[in-house]
Amino acid sequence: MSLSKIKLRINGKEIEAEVEPRKLLVHFLREDMGLTGTHVGCDTSNCGACTVLLDGRAVKSCTMLAVQADGREVTTIEGISSGDDMHPLQKAFIEKHGLQCGYCTSGMILTSFWLLSKNNNPTEEEIRKAISGNLCRCTGYQSIVESIKYGAQLMKEEEKGEQEIRVR
Amino acid sequence: MTTLNWKEGDLAYDSSLFVRGKGHFVDDLKIPGTLYMSVLRSPYARARILSIKGGINGSELKAKMASVGEGADPSQTVSIQPVFATGYVNYVGEPVAAVFGDDRYKATDLLENVEVDYEPMKPVVTIDDALRLPPIHEGMKSNILVQSSRGSDFKDPDSPIVLEDTLENERVATNPIEPRGIVASYSDGMLNVWVSTQSVHSIKDGLVESLGLRPDAVRVMQTDTGGAFGSKGGLYPEYVIASYASMKYGRPVKWIETRREHLSSTNPGRGVRGKVKIFAERDGRIMGLKGDVLVDAGAYGTGIASFSAGFIAMMMTGPYSIENGYVIGRSVLTNKVPQGPYRGAGRPEASFFIERMVDLLADELKMDPADVRLANMSDKPFTSPLGMKIEPAKPFFESAVRELEYRREAKLTNGVGLSFFVLVPAVYPGESARIIVKDGMVKVWLGGNSHGQGHENFARKLVNEELGVPESIVTLFRGDTGMTLDGVGSWGSRSAIVGGAAIVAACRKIKRKVEKESGNYSPELLLSGSYDEFVYEEQKIPLNSFGANLATVEIGKLGNVKIKKCAAYYDVGRALNRDMVIGQIQGGMAQGIGQTLHEGLYYNDDGQLITSSISDAGVPLAEDLPNFTVKIAEHRSSLPHGAKGLGESPTIGVPTALIRAIEVASGKRLRKTPVTPEELIQ
Repeated sequence: MSLSKIKLRINGKEIEAEVEPRKLLVHFLREDMGLTGTHVGCDTSNCGACTVLLDGRAVKSCTMLAVQADGREVTTIEGISSGDDMHPLQKAFIEKHGLQCGYCTSGMILTSFWLLSKNNNPTEEEIRKAISGNLCRCTGYQSIVESIKYGAQLMKEEEKGEQEIRVR
Repeated sequence: MTTLNWKEGDLAYDSSLFVRGKGHFVDDLKIPGTLYMSVLRSPYARARILSIKGGINGSELKAKMASVGEGADPSQTVSIQPVFATGYVNYVGEPVAAVFGDDRYKATDLLENVEVDYEPMKPVVTIDDALRLPPIHEGMKSNILVQSSRGSDFKDPDSPIVLEDTLENERVATNPIEPRGIVASYSDGMLNVWVSTQSVHSIKDGLVESLGLRPDAVRVMQTDTGGAFGSKGGLYPEYVIASYASMKYGRPVKWIETRREHLSSTNPGRGVRGKVKIFAERDGRIMGLKGDVLVDAGAYGTGIASFSAGFIAMMMTGPYSIENGYVIGRSVLTNKVPQGPYRGAGRPEASFFIERMVDLLADELKMDPADVRLANMSDKPFTSPLGMKIEPAKPFFESAVRELEYRREAKLTNGVGLSFFVLVPAVYPGESARIIVKDGMVKVWLGGNSHGQGHENFARKLVNEELGVPESIVTLFRGDTGMTLDGVGSWGSRSAIVGGAAIVAACRKIKRKVEKESGNYSPELLLSGSYDEFVYEEQKIPLNSFGANLATVEIGKLGNVKIKKCAAYYDVGRALNRDMVIGQIQGGMAQGIGQTLHEGLYYNDDGQLITSSISDAGVPLAEDLPNFTVKIAEHRSSLPHGAKGLGESPTIGVPTALIRAIEVASGKRLRKTPVTPEELIQ
C-alpha cells in the first residue's frame, strides 16, 4: 500500500512521517510514535479511552485517520506535563482516587482538560455531561467527578500563584 | 526475558503511572518481530462445517479447552469446548481459524484468505428451546449440562399464603474498558506469556493442559489489567492459539480483542431464570421455599455455568431463617457464547430471586418490606436447609435500617426499595504469597492478581503491621508464575481475605526465621538479612458478611428512571484501606444500576448477537448515575488481619433495592432485569 506523508505537531514536537492512508490516528500514536498512554477500548468512539487533543479540542483518535491530523497539533496524555512535574488534573486524579484499573484515565484527564479550558468552574452536572463520552467501568464516576472538581481548584490556585509571582 | 523492554520496576503495581499514560497494559508491550493474530469467527449460531481452507484451524490444532479458573468444572467431558470449532460451530463468535500478519492491519486483511463452507442448522437460542429441542452436542441425551439440588423435598406446609413467581436476569457483558489480550513468546524451549488477567496460575494451568506442555516450560506474567469483573479469570481459545502459533513460527504472537469480539466471544455473566414458590404465615414468616433455577450455560460446559446452578441454589434462602428449602438447579446448553462469571457470579441471581419474593409477600400482606424481613431473621446463627451457614442476621439488619434511614425515606418517598443479603465470598481453597527481603527492600507477589482493586495498598499495610518496616520499602509485583509456585486468582470478593491472610502468614514465617537466627526480632535485623518465603495459606472456613441497600427513584413520563438516592450499608470486616473500600463499593453500585436499568446481551431467533457496541450493551455513563451514599460497618473477621469480602456486595444488593423502588413508584410488578422504560409506561 502506498504511503502518505504527513507533518504535524505532537506534544509540541514537529513530526514528519509516512503512514498508510488507512492507519487510524490512535495506532499511529501508539505504534509509530510509542505514545502508549492513548488506549483503545471500543472501536466505535463510545468509550473515549483513545481521547487526545486535536488543536486543543478533545477528539477520539480511534475514529480518525492519521492523515487527517496532517498540519494539526496533537496533544496526548504524555504531553500535558513534563519530567516529574504533574499537571494539576493528574495530581487531582491521584489524590481523589479518580481511577482504579487506570485504562480510561488518560482519556478522562484529556476530556476534563478540554472542559476546564472552556469552563474553569464547572458544576457537577457540567462535569458529568462533559465526560459522558468517556466510559469508566470501575469507579462509578463519583471519584472522577471529585477529581475534576479538585483539579479545577488546583488549576485556579496555580494560576493565582503565578500571578502573584508576576506582581512581585 | 531478554526480548522484553520492561524493566523490573515496570512490573510492580503503580497506579500513579496511569495518570501519566505510563501504564504497562498488554497492548503496550512491544517485542521486536511480533506477529499479530486475527481470529476468524463463526457467523452462525449453529452450523455444520463442510470445509475450511487457510490459516491455522482445527484440522491442525486439535486441542480442547481446559476448565480452569473461577468455578472450573473439570468433570465435564462431552460438552468441552474445542479450541477451534471442528465439525460444527455452536455460537456466533466461536473461533474457526486464525491468521497472522506483521501488523494488525495485515492480520485483518489476511482473514479474507480463509474460506469456510457452512451448512446452517436450526439453533437452540433460549432456555425454553434448550429444554424442548434435541441436544446441541452429539453424545448427550438432552441439553441439560448439569442438574443438582439443594435441601430436601418437603410436603407443602399448610400455610395461608402461597406465592409463586418466575424471575430473570438477562445476560450481561462484563465490558472492562480494556478488552482481553495476550502476547505469547516461545524461545529456547520456554513459552513466556504476558496477559491481562485475574489469575496467572489459571492461565498457566490451562495452557499446560490444553497444549500438553511441561509446567516448567511455561511462564505466565500479568500485565496491568484494565478491569476484568470475572471475565479475565480463566482460559480462552485465543490464548491457546496464540501460544501454539508462537511455538510454530518461533516469533512472539500478539492478540488484542476488539470490542465487537468482546461482546460475541468473551464469557458474559447472568442469564439465569428462577421459578420460586414461598409458603408464608400472615405475620410474614416464610415457612418454606421451593425453587427451580435455570442457568443459560451457552454452548459449552468449560466455564462456570455448570457450577452456577448448585451455587445459586445454595444461596436461595438468602440471609433469612427459613426452615424448609428445596431448590433444583439446572444449567442448559444453548447456541450462545459460554456463560462465565460476572461480578457476583451467582450471588446477585440468588439474591434477586429471594428478595423479589420477600417484596411480593410484603405487598400481599400489606406489610412494610422491612418488617417482613425482620420476621424472617434470627439473633442466633443459622444453618439454612440449603447448606448455607450464616451469622445472626437481625442485629445487622436493624442497624442497616437505621443507618440507611429507611423508615424516614419510606414515609417521605413513593418509590423506595430496601434490600438485604449475605455475601458468600470464594475463600476456598486459599491463596499464595511470596515475600523476598533483600537489599533493604521487601518484595511481594500474590497468587491472585489485582486488576484495579489496589491490592498493593493492603499488601503494604499488612507487611508494615506484621514486620514493622515502613510501607515505602514494600512493593507488590504483578502476578508471575515464575515467582509463585502455585496460586488461585482474584475473584469472588476473596483477595483481601485470602491474599491478605497469605501475606500475614508469609510475614510471620519470616519473622520466626529472624528470631531463630538472632534470638529476637527487629525490623533492622530483618532488613540487614536476606529472606525468601512462599506460603500457600489454606482457607476452609466460610466467611460470610451482611449488607443492605436502599434506593429511591422517580419515574418520568417516558418511563425513564431517575435515581434520587442509592445507598449502601455493608459489613466489610476490618477496612484495610478505607479509600479503596469506598471506591470498590461505588464502582460496584454503578454496575448494579447498569444491570437493573441498562445492560443486556441480546440474540435474535437465529441466535445472531444483536448487541453491537459497548453503548448498546448498556455500560452506564456519568450522566446516568447519581452520587452514592456509602456507609460501612467494620465487624472484624476471625482472621488475624480481620478482613471480610466486599467486592461483589454492591452487585448483589443494588439491583434488588433499585428494582423494588421502581416497582413501588410504577405500581407494576417487576420480574426481570434490565427494567425497560417501555414496560413501565405500558
